[in-house]
Amino acid sequence: MLDLTQGQFVKHVITHPFEGFEDLRWKKSGSMKIAIVIVCLLFFQQVAFSRLYGFQYYSDYDKIFNIVPYIFRSFVLFGVWVVANWAMCTLFDGEGSMKNIFIYSAYALIPYISGYLIGTVLSHFLIEDEYIFIQAFEIIGLCWSFVLAISAMKAVHQFSFGKTIALILLTLVAMVAMLFLLVLLLTLFQQVLIFVFSIYTELSYRLRV
Amino acid sequence: MTGLKKLISLASAAALALSMCTVSVSASEAYDPYNYDRWGDAISSQAGYTADGFVDGNTIGCGTMNEPADIFVSHDDLVYIVDKGNNRIIVTDLEFNLVKVMEDFKLNGESSPLKKPTGIFVDRFTDLIYIADNENGRVIKCDTDGNILKEFGRPESELYDAELTYNPNKVLVDKAGNVYIVVRSVTKGAVMYNSDGKFLGFYGANRVEQTAEVLANAFWNLISTDEQRERTAKNTPIGFTNFDIDELGFIYTVTESTETTTDLVKKLNPRGDNILDSLGAADMTFGDIPPAYYSIYAKNSSLTDIDLGPNGELNILDFQHGRIFQYDKECWLLFIMGGTGEQLGTFRSATAIESHDDKLYVVDSRKNGVTIFTRTTFGEIVTEAANLYNDGKYEESLEPWKSVLKYDGNYRRAYIGIGNALFNRFEYKEAMEYFEISISRGRYSRAFEGYRDEWLKENFTAIMITIIVVVVAFLVLGHLKKKGKLKFLKGGA
Repeated sequence: MLDLTQGQFVKHVITHPFEGFEDLRWKKSGSMKIAIVIVCLLFFQQVAFSRLYGFQYYSDYDKIFNIVPYIFRSFVLFGVWVVANWAMCTLFDGEGSMKNIFIYSAYALIPYISGYLIGTVLSHFLIEDEYIFIQAFEIIGLCWSFVLAISAMKAVHQFSFGKTIALILLTLVAMVAMLFLLVLLLTLFQQVLIFVFSIYTELSYRLRV
Repeated sequence: MTGLKKLISLASAAALALSMCTVSVSASEAYDPYNYDRWGDAISSQAGYTADGFVDGNTIGCGTMNEPADIFVSHDDLVYIVDKGNNRIIVTDLEFNLVKVMEDFKLNGESSPLKKPTGIFVDRFTDLIYIADNENGRVIKCDTDGNILKEFGRPESELYDAELTYNPNKVLVDKAGNVYIVVRSVTKGAVMYNSDGKFLGFYGANRVEQTAEVLANAFWNLISTDEQRERTAKNTPIGFTNFDIDELGFIYTVTESTETTTDLVKKLNPRGDNILDSLGAADMTFGDIPPAYYSIYAKNSSLTDIDLGPNGELNILDFQHGRIFQYDKECWLLFIMGGTGEQLGTFRSATAIESHDDKLYVVDSRKNGVTIFTRTTFGEIVTEAANLYNDGKYEESLEPWKSVLKYDGNYRRAYIGIGNALFNRFEYKEAMEYFEISISRGRYSRAFEGYRDEWLKENFTAIMITIIVVVVAFLVLGHLKKKGKLKFLKGGA
């Protein structure tokens, strides 16, 4: 029963929102490689959404291109989510390991990514008045991913529904806290760097004289 | 060897010729002409007007002017300059040869001199001159010999707040002979008289800008008592500064304010409604878009005068940066010229603007003279193209727009104009290219719709055949699979 390859499991999981992740857990399946590919696709989707979208819908300020916001919205946010979720689940006695949280969360993102990618492709064939079709794909993908995310969290930690919701909310709070600390850390390091650099400048001037 | 020498000398001659070329172009203006692109960034452009003359009191031959405040070109081609400091009106012809100086004004036979006049208007129907006599607190209606026929003094009405001063600043008259007076201390709009001197009320007030403070005050007013309401600060709009009237009787106003963005420029119908609202006034910007790259000070424009050109162009004078912004009648920016400074074409304190045909006259109250701008070839082509375009003659405007691009490849409207012309000729693919360069999404979408429809019509047979073949193939494969004839497909999902 359910002797599926890793690839087939991905399909099984996203087409069975309610028991898919439980099956994945029961079979101790799930591939880190596929999960990493999905996160890379998330990054690609973010870039595609703002750079490859049909001209009739969206024209970005194209005099500058900065990759950092896209990296932040994909890799950084996903990483922070995984770490925050793992940290919270240890407080809640969840059963998920960091690796499993990573894999299950990535699998849950597939409808969101594909919905937006389909929208991006469609945006080259439709006109402004027909935006509703693109929007439908994007919204369905987003909602589907939302349902899958709840199901994934529920399965990976073996929680009840209410506890899962509480965990997700707390994870979001923890993410905000982590990001805040991250920004603080970066700013402080910047200050230190400036300090060191100014000492270096001072010394170099003195030594020259 | 000689070949090489020849080549070198030829190349250096060419380089010299080229450099001379660029020098002569860039040295023609005292400022860098610029325009705005789709993103509101300043990009350099060609000059639409060039400053080619400056006249002061001595060149006119009437003695030095002192703080000239206003200029008006009448329908019979006379130029009236209000010499505020000398309390007189200088009348010249279009070449600035002195016609006469109006100094002696008579009211019922007695002398009644002006005191710091600041505005003038000549009625095209009656040939009568209206002068805003600022410090005397009156607007006078007089004939060309200076006989005062009527005075429009302080309104005898309780609508006019007793605490307010009455110093008329600018004046104009509509077809029906109604007199509109801008008084700086009045924020309710222009003071309006009928031709018999009866006070009719106020005309065309600005709105209050919706800031957070205004909203908060509105909320507190809901819950406070009448006494408390008495004591809170009132939200009063900023009164407009100057106006002009076009041939159809629409009055255009400008508001000199660096703080607000609401109602900076308005086009008022006789009821006093702003009809630019229906043209999308919310998306229009007048004056410099901050931050203005080419300005030394990051200050907002302060629009001090407006004038209507022969084709309905709006010439708006920015006191802050000494710049003139010319818009066409659809309020698209055409050209920006001027600047602050001492050179020809720049200003120290620009106070009034007037246009006649292809010339612009700008009065500077500290240089005590009038700068004359003449439209360049580039300006003429752009004006022609814009006029054709605004009349809906897109195809006729194609050639002018193309020559505009030869002068200035950054001129965004030219791309839109060419795109629209091509669109009207059903050349969708080319139109799409131009709309993409000009970054106009809505137009691009319409062109794309046409292109797509055409493509679908042309390739209808091929598309239908492909769809039928694919469907049939799937049906056949499914049928075979069911019968177990294709064993290798069984493993698949």
